[in-house]
Amino acid sequence: MAELSLVLVTPERTLFDKPVASIRVPLYDGSAGFYPGRAPLVGRLGIGELKLADAGGATESYFIDGGFVQVKGSVVSILTNAATPVSELSRKVAATKLREANAERAKTDEEYAAASRRLEKARKMLALAGKE
Amino acid sequence: MANRRLLVKRLKAVRNIRKITRTMELIATSRFKKAMDRATEAAEYTRKISEIVGDLGRANLKFSHPLLERRAEEKRSVLLVLTANRGLCGGYNASVLRQALAHIRGLKEKGIEFQLEVSGKRGIKFLNYQKVPIQKQYTTFEDQPSFAAVDELGARYVDDFIAGRIDRVDVAYTQFVTSSKQFAVVESLLPIASLGGGAETKSEAGVDYEFLPSAQEILAEIVPAAFRAKLFKCFLDAAVSEQIARMVAMKGATENADEMAGSLKQQYNRARQAGITSELAEIIGGAAALG
Repeated sequence: MAELSLVLVTPERTLFDKPVASIRVPLYDGSAGFYPGRAPLVGRLGIGELKLADAGGATESYFIDGGFVQVKGSVVSILTNAATPVSELSRKVAATKLREANAERAKTDEEYAAASRRLEKARKMLALAGKE
Repeated sequence: MANRRLLVKRLKAVRNIRKITRTMELIATSRFKKAMDRATEAAEYTRKISEIVGDLGRANLKFSHPLLERRAEEKRSVLLVLTANRGLCGGYNASVLRQALAHIRGLKEKGIEFQLEVSGKRGIKFLNYQKVPIQKQYTTFEDQPSFAAVDELGARYVDDFIAGRIDRVDVAYTQFVTSSKQFAVVESLLPIASLGGGAETKSEAGVDYEFLPSAQEILAEIVPAAFRAKLFKCFLDAAVSEQIARMVAMKGATENADEMAGSLKQQYNRARQAGITSELAEIIGGAAALG
């Protein structure tokens, strides 16, 4: 069977570099799943949950904040600004962030774009944290 | 006798200083290792970014992005100066500030307006003394700058540059080459001169990538990401270099203190011996006079 390995890097450190069985990433417009033998791809990531399963079937989840994914041969590289294990997300913090984001009033287009991005991030974080 | 007591006092003082400098050297060494590890980990991200840029290059794409364009007329610029919060690190701060001042002089001659942003108490103090107006100052970047904090600056520069509020961004910092070679430079970060990675990827066999959503959109996203990674690297380089500079300076200070303690001890011993000799001479002289 073909192999698949995942490299997860943030500007601060390499979080992850090990073989996995399958990966699910949040792309800019929805989810995408990768199995071994995926054709080469470069894609833009959105905000959401990165889920990976190893050969034994155990799964791990990370909350990631945008970035890029590159599939090349058997290596999937994920570059993201920040990645947090879902187990470390707290519902309370996410809810506060959502409240803050909701309270913001944007005046210009740029502010609006930034504010809606923060809002989306807070919503997704809350949705993920709620699962635990 | 008074001379001898003075020597003992000085010897004690020197030994105390040696203890302090030695401790500072050890602290700097351990911080240097941590900062170095972070810089190595960050290099991985930069490498991946330039790999993707290289991939994009093969997709027959015209590289055009607002951040890559050099303005015909540069009127407003930002100079970011990265210094340390603390001294006692040899010529580290001085050499960065010297570069920064030379750059400021150049900007003034060309009539380019500039905003000065300074990180580190040392730089702020010095430039205030030189009466150069500072627009923004940061003292929160220590030996482990976080990406989130640096990213705030980066995002602001990107926005200002695209909106045309600034025409260039330069950073004065200490570049880290190897652990025995670092030097202060003024580097121009915006407009981005080259994304890097273009030449090295040519040798690889071309891989046909699928681009989601499209190569052009990925480029639009990756150029700012490359800039932020570069800015972050400046902060990391500065942090590593600071620790090295402090390590070297403190090592020198410890060795000096050792030498000084040695020579003071010698002087003290000589003074003591001279005292004993003169006392003996007095006794013998006295005995001879009696006899």
